[in-house]
Amino acid sequence: MSKIHRLAGVSLATALAFGLATSANAQLLQHKDLSSAIARTIALTAIDACKEAGYNVSVHVVGRNGEVLVGLRHHAAGVNTFENSWKKAYTSRTFRIASGKFAENVGQNPVAGQLFLANITAARGALPIMIGEETIGAVGVSGAPGGDKDEVCAQAGIDKVKDQLR
Amino acid sequence: MIKTTIGTAALALACSLAISAHAQLVTVKQLSLPIAASIGITALETCKAQGYNVSVHVIGNMGEVLVALRGDNTGPHTMENSMRKALTSRGTRLPSGEFAENVSKTPNAGALRLGNMIPARGALPIKAGQDTIGAVGVSGAPGGDKDEACAKAGIDKVADQLK
Repeated sequence: MSKIHRLAGVSLATALAFGLATSANAQLLQHKDLSSAIARTIALTAIDACKEAGYNVSVHVVGRNGEVLVGLRHHAAGVNTFENSWKKAYTSRTFRIASGKFAENVGQNPVAGQLFLANITAARGALPIMIGEETIGAVGVSGAPGGDKDEVCAQAGIDKVKDQLR
Repeated sequence: MIKTTIGTAALALACSLAISAHAQLVTVKQLSLPIAASIGITALETCKAQGYNVSVHVIGNMGEVLVALRGDNTGPHTMENSMRKALTSRGTRLPSGEFAENVSKTPNAGALRLGNMIPARGALPIKAGQDTIGAVGVSGAPGGDKDEACAKAGIDKVADQLK
Protein backbone atom coordinates (compact mmCIF):
# COMPACT_ATOMS: atom_id res chain seq x y z
CA MET A 1 0.00 0.00 0.00
CA SER A 2 2.67 2.36 1.01
CA LYS A 3 4.56 1.32 -2.12
CA ILE A 4 1.55 2.16 -4.26
CA HIS A 5 1.27 5.48 -2.56
CA ARG A 6 4.88 6.17 -3.29
CA LEU A 7 4.46 5.24 -6.95
CA ALA A 8 1.43 7.45 -7.16
CA GLY A 9 3.48 10.23 -5.67
CA VAL A 10 6.19 9.78 -8.28
CA SER A 11 3.62 9.76 -11.08
CA LEU A 12 1.99 12.90 -9.77
CA ALA A 13 5.32 14.66 -9.48
CA THR A 14 6.22 13.60 -13.02
CA ALA A 15 2.90 14.77 -14.37
CA LEU A 16 3.29 18.07 -12.58
CA ALA A 17 6.77 18.58 -13.95
CA PHE A 18 5.63 17.91 -17.49
CA GLY A 19 2.62 20.09 -16.94
CA LEU A 20 4.84 23.00 -15.96
CA ALA A 21 7.12 22.41 -18.88
CA THR A 22 4.51 22.02 -21.57
CA SER A 23 1.47 23.78 -20.18
CA ALA A 24 -0.85 25.24 -22.75
CA ASN A 25 -0.83 28.33 -20.59
CA ALA A 26 2.94 28.87 -20.88
CA GLN A 27 3.61 32.38 -22.12
CA LEU A 28 6.55 34.28 -23.44
CA LEU A 29 7.95 36.97 -21.23
CA GLN A 30 6.94 40.45 -22.19
CA HIS A 31 8.65 43.63 -21.18
CA LYS A 32 9.25 47.17 -22.30
CA ASP A 33 12.59 48.24 -23.67
CA LEU A 34 14.07 51.60 -24.56
CA SER A 35 13.53 52.54 -28.18
CA SER A 36 16.40 53.86 -30.25
CA ALA A 37 14.66 57.24 -30.41
CA ILE A 38 14.12 57.58 -26.65
CA ALA A 39 17.67 56.45 -25.94
CA ARG A 40 18.94 59.04 -28.38
CA THR A 41 16.92 61.81 -26.74
CA ILE A 42 18.32 60.89 -23.32
CA ALA A 43 21.89 60.96 -24.62
CA LEU A 44 21.63 64.16 -26.64
CA THR A 45 19.90 65.92 -23.75
CA ALA A 46 22.58 64.82 -21.30
CA ILE A 47 25.38 66.01 -23.56
CA ASP A 48 23.61 69.35 -24.16
CA ALA A 49 22.95 69.84 -20.45
CA CYS A 50 26.64 69.41 -19.71
CA LYS A 51 27.58 71.61 -22.66
CA GLU A 52 25.41 74.40 -21.26
CA ALA A 53 27.10 74.00 -17.90
CA GLY A 54 30.42 74.41 -19.70
CA TYR A 55 31.48 70.74 -19.71
CA ASN A 56 32.42 68.66 -22.72
CA VAL A 57 31.39 65.08 -22.03
CA SER A 58 30.79 61.72 -23.60
CA VAL A 59 27.57 59.82 -22.97
CA HIS A 60 26.40 56.24 -23.24
CA VAL A 61 22.91 54.81 -22.96
CA VAL A 62 22.72 51.06 -22.42
CA GLY A 63 19.67 48.84 -22.61
CA ARG A 64 18.18 46.07 -20.49
CA ASN A 65 21.01 43.65 -21.19
CA GLY A 66 23.75 46.22 -20.87
CA GLU A 67 23.99 46.50 -24.65
CA VAL A 68 25.00 49.88 -26.03
CA LEU A 69 22.06 51.74 -27.53
CA VAL A 70 23.77 55.10 -27.98
CA GLY A 71 27.33 56.33 -27.62
CA LEU A 72 28.25 59.97 -28.18
CA ARG A 73 31.65 61.59 -27.91
CA HIS A 74 31.83 65.36 -27.71
CA HIS A 75 34.55 66.59 -30.05
CA ALA A 76 36.38 68.31 -27.21
CA ALA A 77 35.89 65.63 -24.55
CA GLY A 78 38.83 63.84 -23.01
CA VAL A 79 40.17 60.65 -24.51
CA ASN A 80 38.98 58.36 -21.71
CA THR A 81 35.49 59.79 -21.42
CA PHE A 82 33.91 57.55 -24.03
CA GLU A 83 34.98 54.35 -22.32
CA ASN A 84 34.27 55.73 -18.88
CA SER A 85 30.72 56.82 -19.67
CA TRP A 86 30.02 53.33 -21.00
CA LYS A 87 31.44 51.60 -17.93
CA LYS A 88 29.50 53.88 -15.61
CA ALA A 89 26.28 53.15 -17.48
CA TYR A 90 26.99 49.41 -17.51
CA THR A 91 27.68 49.51 -13.76
CA SER A 92 24.47 51.39 -13.07
CA ARG A 93 22.42 48.96 -15.15
CA THR A 94 24.06 45.95 -13.54
CA PHE A 95 23.39 46.97 -9.94
CA ARG A 96 20.21 48.91 -10.73
CA ILE A 97 21.46 51.88 -8.75
CA ALA A 98 23.33 55.10 -9.44
CA SER A 99 26.97 54.27 -10.17
CA GLY A 100 27.87 56.82 -7.49
CA LYS A 101 25.82 54.84 -4.97
CA PHE A 102 27.69 51.70 -6.01
CA ALA A 103 30.97 53.57 -5.54
CA GLU A 104 29.86 54.52 -2.04
CA ASN A 105 28.88 50.95 -1.26
CA VAL A 106 32.26 49.53 -2.23
CA GLY A 107 34.16 52.59 -1.08
CA GLN A 108 35.46 51.03 2.11
CA ASN A 109 36.02 47.60 0.58
CA PRO A 110 38.73 47.58 -2.07
CA VAL A 111 38.34 43.81 -2.54
CA ALA A 112 34.59 43.89 -3.14
CA GLY A 113 33.88 41.06 -5.58
CA GLN A 114 31.85 43.28 -7.88
CA LEU A 115 34.91 45.35 -8.66
CA PHE A 116 36.47 42.27 -10.24
CA LEU A 117 33.67 41.84 -12.75
CA ALA A 118 34.45 43.02 -16.26
CA ASN A 119 33.65 46.63 -17.08
CA ILE A 120 32.42 47.57 -13.62
CA THR A 121 33.64 50.94 -12.38
CA ALA A 122 33.25 52.66 -9.04
CA ALA A 123 32.64 56.14 -10.39
CA ARG A 124 29.72 58.51 -10.08
CA GLY A 125 27.95 59.83 -13.18
CA ALA A 126 25.44 57.21 -14.28
CA LEU A 127 21.82 56.60 -13.34
CA PRO A 128 19.52 53.64 -13.97
CA ILE A 129 16.63 54.22 -16.35
CA MET A 130 13.52 52.85 -14.69
CA ILE A 131 9.90 52.13 -15.39
CA GLY A 132 8.49 52.21 -11.88
CA GLU A 133 10.65 49.74 -9.96
CA GLU A 134 12.01 48.03 -13.05
CA THR A 135 15.42 48.93 -14.45
CA ILE A 136 15.40 48.88 -18.25
CA GLY A 137 18.75 50.54 -18.92
CA ALA A 138 21.09 53.24 -17.74
CA VAL A 139 22.72 56.48 -18.88
CA GLY A 140 26.33 57.29 -18.09
CA VAL A 141 28.21 60.58 -18.44
CA SER A 142 31.92 61.33 -18.21
CA GLY A 143 33.95 64.46 -18.70
CA ALA A 144 32.64 67.03 -16.24
CA PRO A 145 34.97 68.00 -13.39
CA GLY A 146 33.31 65.73 -10.85
CA GLY A 147 30.98 62.76 -10.95
CA ASP A 148 28.27 64.80 -9.27
CA LYS A 149 28.24 67.14 -12.27
CA ASP A 150 28.19 64.21 -14.69
CA GLU A 151 25.24 62.78 -12.79
CA VAL A 152 23.25 66.02 -13.04
CA CYS A 153 23.49 65.78 -16.84
CA ALA A 154 22.45 62.12 -16.77
CA GLN A 155 19.44 63.11 -14.70
CA ALA A 156 18.55 65.83 -17.22
CA GLY A 157 18.54 63.20 -19.94
CA ILE A 158 16.16 60.94 -18.04
CA ASP A 159 13.91 63.83 -17.02
CA LYS A 160 13.50 64.79 -20.65
CA VAL A 161 11.72 61.51 -21.46
CA LYS A 162 10.09 60.76 -18.12
CA ASP A 163 6.60 60.95 -19.65
CA GLN A 164 7.57 58.15 -22.01
CA LEU A 165 9.01 55.87 -19.34
CA ARG A 166 5.89 53.98 -18.45
CA MET B 1 89.00 72.36 -43.83
CA ILE B 2 86.54 72.17 -46.71
CA LYS B 3 85.08 69.02 -45.22
CA THR B 4 84.55 70.78 -41.91
CA THR B 5 82.83 73.69 -43.62
CA ILE B 6 80.48 71.39 -45.49
CA GLY B 7 79.81 69.50 -42.30
CA THR B 8 79.00 72.68 -40.46
CA ALA B 9 76.72 73.80 -43.25
CA ALA B 10 74.91 70.46 -43.16
CA LEU B 11 74.54 70.73 -39.41
CA ALA B 12 73.18 74.26 -39.70
CA LEU B 13 70.68 73.07 -42.30
CA ALA B 14 69.57 70.19 -40.14
CA CYS B 15 69.10 72.48 -37.16
CA SER B 16 67.17 74.97 -39.20
CA LEU B 17 64.79 72.24 -40.34
CA ALA B 18 64.29 71.07 -36.81
CA ILE B 19 63.87 74.37 -35.05
CA SER B 20 63.00 76.76 -37.87
CA ALA B 21 61.11 79.82 -36.78
CA HIS B 22 58.76 78.96 -39.63
CA ALA B 23 57.87 75.54 -38.23
CA GLN B 24 54.10 75.29 -37.90
CA LEU B 25 51.67 73.01 -36.21
CA VAL B 26 49.63 70.79 -38.46
CA THR B 27 46.15 72.16 -38.95
CA VAL B 28 43.47 69.55 -39.46
CA LYS B 29 39.73 69.59 -39.76
CA GLN B 30 37.76 67.47 -37.35
CA LEU B 31 34.15 66.35 -37.29
CA SER B 32 32.19 68.13 -34.57
CA LEU B 33 29.70 66.16 -32.51
CA PRO B 34 26.68 67.98 -34.00
CA ILE B 35 27.81 67.16 -37.53
CA ALA B 36 28.67 63.57 -36.65
CA ALA B 37 25.35 63.11 -34.83
CA SER B 38 23.49 64.55 -37.80
CA ILE B 39 25.21 62.09 -40.15
CA GLY B 40 24.48 59.13 -37.88
CA ILE B 41 20.86 59.97 -37.14
CA THR B 42 20.11 60.75 -40.79
CA ALA B 43 21.59 57.43 -41.90
CA LEU B 44 19.58 55.49 -39.32
CA GLU B 45 16.33 57.29 -40.08
CA THR B 46 16.80 56.98 -43.84
CA CYS B 47 17.08 53.21 -43.55
CA LYS B 48 14.18 53.09 -41.10
CA ALA B 49 11.97 55.01 -43.54
CA GLN B 50 12.76 52.32 -46.11
CA GLY B 51 11.81 49.59 -43.68
CA TYR B 52 15.33 48.59 -42.66
CA ASN B 53 16.38 48.50 -39.02
CA VAL B 54 20.06 49.34 -38.87
CA SER B 55 22.81 50.33 -36.49
CA VAL B 56 25.21 53.13 -37.36
CA HIS B 57 28.68 54.24 -36.37
CA VAL B 58 30.37 57.53 -37.18
CA ILE B 59 34.09 57.57 -36.50
CA GLY B 60 36.63 60.35 -36.55
CA ASN B 61 40.00 60.85 -38.12
CA MET B 62 41.85 58.40 -35.86
CA GLY B 63 39.10 55.82 -35.97
CA GLU B 64 37.69 56.96 -32.65
CA VAL B 65 33.96 56.42 -32.25
CA LEU B 66 32.07 59.71 -32.30
CA VAL B 67 28.54 58.37 -32.59
CA ALA B 68 27.15 54.88 -32.06
CA LEU B 69 23.46 54.20 -32.59
CA ARG B 70 21.68 50.90 -32.25
CA GLY B 71 18.39 50.79 -34.14
CA ASP B 72 15.23 49.13 -32.86
CA ASN B 73 14.97 45.41 -33.60
CA THR B 74 18.42 45.18 -35.09
CA GLY B 75 20.50 42.04 -35.09
CA PRO B 76 23.06 41.71 -32.33
CA HIS B 77 26.02 41.94 -34.70
CA THR B 78 24.99 45.20 -36.35
CA MET B 79 26.76 47.44 -33.85
CA GLU B 80 30.10 45.70 -34.30
CA ASN B 81 29.65 45.41 -38.02
CA SER B 82 28.81 49.08 -38.57
CA MET B 83 31.85 50.07 -36.52
CA ARG B 84 34.16 47.76 -38.44
CA LYS B 85 32.82 48.88 -41.80
CA ALA B 86 33.39 52.51 -40.79
CA LEU B 87 36.92 51.79 -39.57
CA THR B 88 37.70 49.95 -42.80
CA SER B 89 36.44 52.88 -44.82
CA ARG B 90 38.47 55.38 -42.80
CA GLY B 91 41.59 53.25 -42.99
CA THR B 92 41.46 52.77 -46.73
CA ARG B 93 39.87 56.15 -47.47
CA LEU B 94 37.46 54.19 -49.67
CA PRO B 95 33.92 52.94 -49.51
CA SER B 96 34.20 49.66 -47.59
CA GLY B 97 32.46 47.99 -50.53
CA GLU B 98 35.27 49.10 -52.82
CA PHE B 99 37.81 47.68 -50.39
CA ALA B 100 35.83 44.41 -50.45
CA GLU B 101 36.05 44.35 -54.24
CA ASN B 102 39.75 45.13 -54.16
CA VAL B 103 40.59 42.26 -51.83
CA SER B 104 38.15 39.75 -53.31
CA LYS B 105 40.88 38.37 -55.53
CA THR B 106 43.54 38.42 -52.84
CA PRO B 107 42.18 36.56 -49.81
CA ASN B 108 45.61 36.82 -48.19
CA ALA B 109 45.69 40.61 -48.50
CA GLY B 110 47.55 42.00 -45.52
CA ALA B 111 44.87 44.61 -44.97
CA LEU B 112 42.44 41.85 -44.01
CA ARG B 113 44.71 40.90 -41.12
CA LEU B 114 44.57 44.32 -39.50
CA GLY B 115 42.39 44.73 -36.45
CA ASN B 116 38.70 45.24 -37.17
CA MET B 117 39.05 45.47 -40.94
CA ILE B 118 36.12 43.89 -42.73
CA PRO B 119 35.43 43.45 -46.46
CA ALA B 120 31.76 44.40 -46.32
CA ARG B 121 29.88 47.13 -48.14
CA GLY B 122 27.96 49.75 -46.20
CA ALA B 123 30.43 52.44 -45.11
CA LEU B 124 31.68 55.60 -46.81
CA PRO B 125 34.57 57.90 -45.99
CA ILE B 126 33.65 61.38 -44.79
CA LYS B 127 35.75 63.92 -46.63
CA ALA B 128 36.55 67.58 -46.28
CA GLY B 129 37.69 68.38 -49.80
CA GLN B 130 40.27 65.70 -50.61
CA ASP B 131 41.01 64.84 -46.99
CA THR B 132 39.33 61.90 -45.32
CA ILE B 133 38.38 63.02 -41.81
CA GLY B 134 36.20 60.11 -40.74
CA ALA B 135 33.70 57.55 -41.94
CA VAL B 136 30.13 56.42 -41.45
CA GLY B 137 29.19 52.74 -41.39
CA VAL B 138 25.75 51.15 -41.54
CA SER B 139 24.70 47.55 -40.91
CA GLY B 140 21.34 45.81 -40.84
CA ALA B 141 19.72 46.40 -44.22
CA PRO B 142 19.31 43.36 -46.49
CA GLY B 143 22.36 44.13 -48.59
CA GLY B 144 25.43 46.28 -48.27
CA ASP B 145 24.24 48.43 -51.17
CA LYS B 146 21.21 49.44 -49.12
CA ASP B 147 23.37 50.10 -46.05
CA GLU B 148 25.62 52.27 -48.21
CA ALA B 149 22.70 54.30 -49.58
CA CYS B 150 21.78 55.25 -46.00
CA ALA B 151 25.39 56.13 -45.21
CA LYS B 152 25.38 58.37 -48.28
CA ALA B 153 22.16 60.07 -47.14
CA GLY B 154 23.88 60.86 -43.83
CA ILE B 155 26.85 62.49 -45.54
CA ASP B 156 24.67 64.34 -48.04
CA LYS B 157 22.74 65.86 -45.16
CA VAL B 158 25.81 67.76 -43.97
CA ALA B 159 27.53 68.24 -47.34
CA ASP B 160 27.44 72.03 -46.92
CA GLN B 161 29.35 71.78 -43.65
CA LEU B 162 32.11 69.50 -44.95
CA LYS B 163 34.47 72.09 -46.27
